[in-house]
Amino acid sequence: MGGYGFYVWGSYLFSLVVIVWEVISLKQRKKALAQQQSSNSVPASVLRGSANETTS
Amino acid sequence: MFYPLAGKIIPWFAIPSAILFALGLYWGFFIAPTDAQQGDAYRIIFIHVPAAWMGMFLYVLMAIYAGIGWAFNARLSSMMASAIAPTGTMFTLISLVTGALWGKPTWGTYWAWDARMTSTLILLFLYIGFISLQAAIDDPRRADRAGAVLALVGVINVPIIYFSVQWWNTLHQGATIRILGKPTIVADMLAAMLIILAACWLYSVAVVLIRLRCIILEREQNASRLAEVGI
Repeated sequence: MGGYGFYVWGSYLFSLVVIVWEVISLKQRKKALAQQQSSNSVPASVLRGSANETTS
Repeated sequence: MFYPLAGKIIPWFAIPSAILFALGLYWGFFIAPTDAQQGDAYRIIFIHVPAAWMGMFLYVLMAIYAGIGWAFNARLSSMMASAIAPTGTMFTLISLVTGALWGKPTWGTYWAWDARMTSTLILLFLYIGFISLQAAIDDPRRADRAGAVLALVGVINVPIIYFSVQWWNTLHQGATIRILGKPTIVADMLAAMLIILAACWLYSVAVVLIRLRCIILEREQNASRLAEVGI
């Protein structure tokens, strides 16, 4: 990279890390939702305070 | 009806996105020539410019969806705005960090408070503000309305970012691609940049649809739980 390796590879590495982080966090969110749906054993009273999770 | 359809079309965006990312990076690193002035440091442009465009484009899209959701009480539209925000934040952050990493070898500094950089930083804060505001309000419909006001007010920042290099004397270079007129870079550089832009766009559609499906499910679940406890 003609002496600019840190800046060029740093840019692409940062972008890759952020994109991979977004994809993994979405997968985890999907997984958590699927688990919640399959096990409806959580009492409703426990979930009263969870309405603020609806938006993010 | 929307939920299963969104699930079916996600791979049609995700797979071409991965292919175009690979093609664009190959083009940018192996076909595009070294720049006469900046050497290989200019290759940051292939991620920096598409990320900056996506950050602005997604903000406008988010504001439109939030505005429609507010004006017509359209829940899906508001949920779409919520789904777009994190991806827009991510692209804006990428554009700021890659811009800083490009700035150091070319300008001698990672950061300068010039109009383009400052207005892009404000865009990042607007995204974070939108997400934080929505997260802070328990009632989803109230959160949607509050978010819509912020998104619509903040949209004024997008033309400021775009035209900042013309309106003010900035450290940041002028537009590489012009709506009217010829681009100022060679064809191979432009091709790599546009291919990665297309990849970013397809990626955004895929992740926004995945997030939208999550938001729909979360709201449905919470609504049924609240109904159970009689709230």
